[in-house]
Amino acid sequence: MALGRAAGRLSQLLGRGGSALPGLIAEKIDSRTIEKLAAGLRRGAVVVTGTNGKTTTTKMLVGILEAEGLSVVTNPSGSNLARGIATHLMRAASWRGRIEADIAVLEADEAAVRTLSARLSPHLVVVTNLARDQLDRFGELATTAEHVAAALRHADVAVLNADDPLVAEMADAGAEPRFYGAAEQVRRLMPADSNLYGAQEETGPRPELRVRLERAEVEGYGEHVELALGKDRLEFHLQVPGAYNGYNAAAALLAGLEFGVDPDRAVAALQAIRPAFGRGQVIEYRARRVRLLLVKNPAGFNQVIRLLGEVDPCPVLIAINDLDADGRDVSWLWDARLEDLARSGHRFGTSGIRAYDMGLRLKYAGIESWSEPDLAAALERLVDSADEGETVVLVPTYTAMLPLHSMLLPGTSKREAWT
Amino acid sequence: MSDLVIAHLYPFEMNIYGDTGNVIALTKRLEWRGLHARVDPVPVGADYDLAEADVVFGGGGQDRSQLEVAYDLQRRAGAVDEAVEDGTVFLTICGTYQLFGRRFLTRDGTEIPGIGVFAMETIGGSKRMIGNIVVDSPWGELVGFENHSGRTFLDAGQEALGRVKKGYGNNERAKEEGARRVNCFGTYMHGSLLPKNPAFADQLLALALARRYGEGAMLASLDDEMEWRAAASAARRP
Repeated sequence: MALGRAAGRLSQLLGRGGSALPGLIAEKIDSRTIEKLAAGLRRGAVVVTGTNGKTTTTKMLVGILEAEGLSVVTNPSGSNLARGIATHLMRAASWRGRIEADIAVLEADEAAVRTLSARLSPHLVVVTNLARDQLDRFGELATTAEHVAAALRHADVAVLNADDPLVAEMADAGAEPRFYGAAEQVRRLMPADSNLYGAQEETGPRPELRVRLERAEVEGYGEHVELALGKDRLEFHLQVPGAYNGYNAAAALLAGLEFGVDPDRAVAALQAIRPAFGRGQVIEYRARRVRLLLVKNPAGFNQVIRLLGEVDPCPVLIAINDLDADGRDVSWLWDARLEDLARSGHRFGTSGIRAYDMGLRLKYAGIESWSEPDLAAALERLVDSADEGETVVLVPTYTAMLPLHSMLLPGTSKREAWT
Repeated sequence: MSDLVIAHLYPFEMNIYGDTGNVIALTKRLEWRGLHARVDPVPVGADYDLAEADVVFGGGGQDRSQLEVAYDLQRRAGAVDEAVEDGTVFLTICGTYQLFGRRFLTRDGTEIPGIGVFAMETIGGSKRMIGNIVVDSPWGELVGFENHSGRTFLDAGQEALGRVKKGYGNNERAKEEGARRVNCFGTYMHGSLLPKNPAFADQLLALALARRYGEGAMLASLDDEMEWRAAASAARRP
C-alpha cells in the first residue's frame, strides 16, 4: 500500500493528475485494498449511485455530514470506478494504511457499484435514478438495474427515489428501504425519459416518503426548494439549478438523517453547496456570465431542457462530442425533447465533433441554429452574441466540457476541475 | 384530415436508439411541404388495423422488450404480410428488423420466433458490432450507427438494402446490410437513420404517396444542407 501511495505522489509530481494510477497499483498489490481501508471508517461508508445526480448528491451529503463535525472521505466524479475509489481511500490513509476518517461518501458508477458494495459493505446506498445512458457501454438498462439491486444486498439501508419505477422496485433488494420523492405538482413538471408520446401511465401505490420535494422553482442561478419532513417544512435556496437538484437535496438530506444529522444544520449545509464541476457552475468570462450545464444522456438532457424553459431568453451553445466518455452513438439526441424549447426565445448555436447532428436535431425540433464545430471559435461566437453583463448558457457533453472549462478558467488544472 | 398515416410499432417497448427521430423526420419532411401526417402509436396488445397505415415504423429494443414484442408480432403476422404485399411502406430497424426474419436464435439458445417477412435468420454472437456505418444503396450513400450482436444471414435471393462500405452490416462477413421486400425495408442502422439520410426518407414518403394517391405524386425539394453535413461528419467517425 505504501508503494501505491508513492506511485500516487510520483504521478502527481509528473503532472498526470494522479487519479487512477496509484489505485491500479494498489489493486494489483493487494486485491483487498478497499476492504482493509474501509474497515477503519468509524461510521462506515455511503455509496451514491444512479444515472444522473450522483456527483451533486455526493457533494451535498459530504457537506451535510461535515457540518455535523464529521471527517469525511470522498472521491471526485472523474474517478468513480473501483480503481479511482481505491486511490481516494488511499490518499486519506496514513502511512500505516489506516483511514483517519469517520465516514466515506463515495460516488460509484452503476457498472462498478456491485463489486464495490460487496467489498465495502456500506451502511447505506443511495440510488438516485436509472435511465438509459450510453448503451454502447452498459448494454441493457435491465442489466444495470440488476447490478444496482445486487449492490443493495451488501448494505444495511437503501435510500431510494420513489418516483423512478426501476429504483422504487428495489425496496425488496435486501437493504432496509427509505424513500424520498416529490409531491404531485413537482412530478408533473419533470419530463419523462421517453419519447414523443410521453410516458406510460404509472400504476400501483406509492411508498411512504420520508422526505418529500414539495416545491422547486428557478431562483436566480439556483433553485428555490421546499422539502417536507413529516410535518416540518424546510424552505431554502440551492446554488444549483433545476428541479432535479431538488431531488438530489432530498436524497442527501434523507441519507444524512440516517446518520442523525440535525435538519436545520443540514439545510444550512445544502444552501452552501456550490455547483460541482460543470453542473450548474457559473463562470465569469469576458464580462459575461457563462452557465455550464453538463449533459450525458436523454434523461439529463430533458432536465436541462426543462430548466432552459424556465430561464430568461439568452444565447445557448450545445456542444456534442462522440468520444468514448460521451458515448460514441449520438442517437440519444433524438430522445431529448428539444421541441419543448421551440418557443423559449433562446438563440441557439451548436459545436463539438457532432455539431451538425445537434444542429439537425434542433432543425427538426423547429429551432434555427448556427453551427461551429471548433469549440474555441464557438465559445467566442457565443460570448460575442451577448452584451457585457449578460448571461449565456453552455450545454456540453463530458469531453466537450473539459476543454471549454479550461478556456473559461485558464490555469485551472484538470485535477482541480475534477473535484 | 391527414395526408398520410404513420403507424409506430411498439413505441414504448422498442425505443432505445433515438428511434422516434425517424418518425419526427418523416412527419417534418411532410410538414415542410404542406402535408400532414397522423402518427398512430401501436404498443404491445393494441388493437390496430395495419391497413390504416401508409408507413409502418418499428425500432430497436432491449432484450426483455424484444421477447414481449416477438409474441405480440406473431398475432399480427398475417396482417403484416398482407400489408407488405399490398405495397405498404415499412421501415424496421435493429430489434424489429430481426423479428421480421424467420427467427432469432439468441446466444443462450433461446429461439425467438420471427414473422418471416424477410427470408433470413439471425444468430446471436459474442461480438458486439458497434460503430458508425456507411452503406451504398440505390438511394445513395446511407450513414447510420449500428450496435448489435445478432448476425443476420439472408437466404440466397433475398434482396439486401445495400453494400457495406464501412462497418459490419448484417454480419461481419457478407458485406451486405439490411433487407428489402416490396416496400418493406429492414436495417441495423439507427442514429437516427432518416434525419441524416434525407434522400432515403423522401424515397419512403414518395413510395407511400404514390401508393395512396397514384403515380406522379411529387415531393418538392428541400434545403438539406444541414442533413448532408451531419451525414458527412458521421461517416468520418469510428
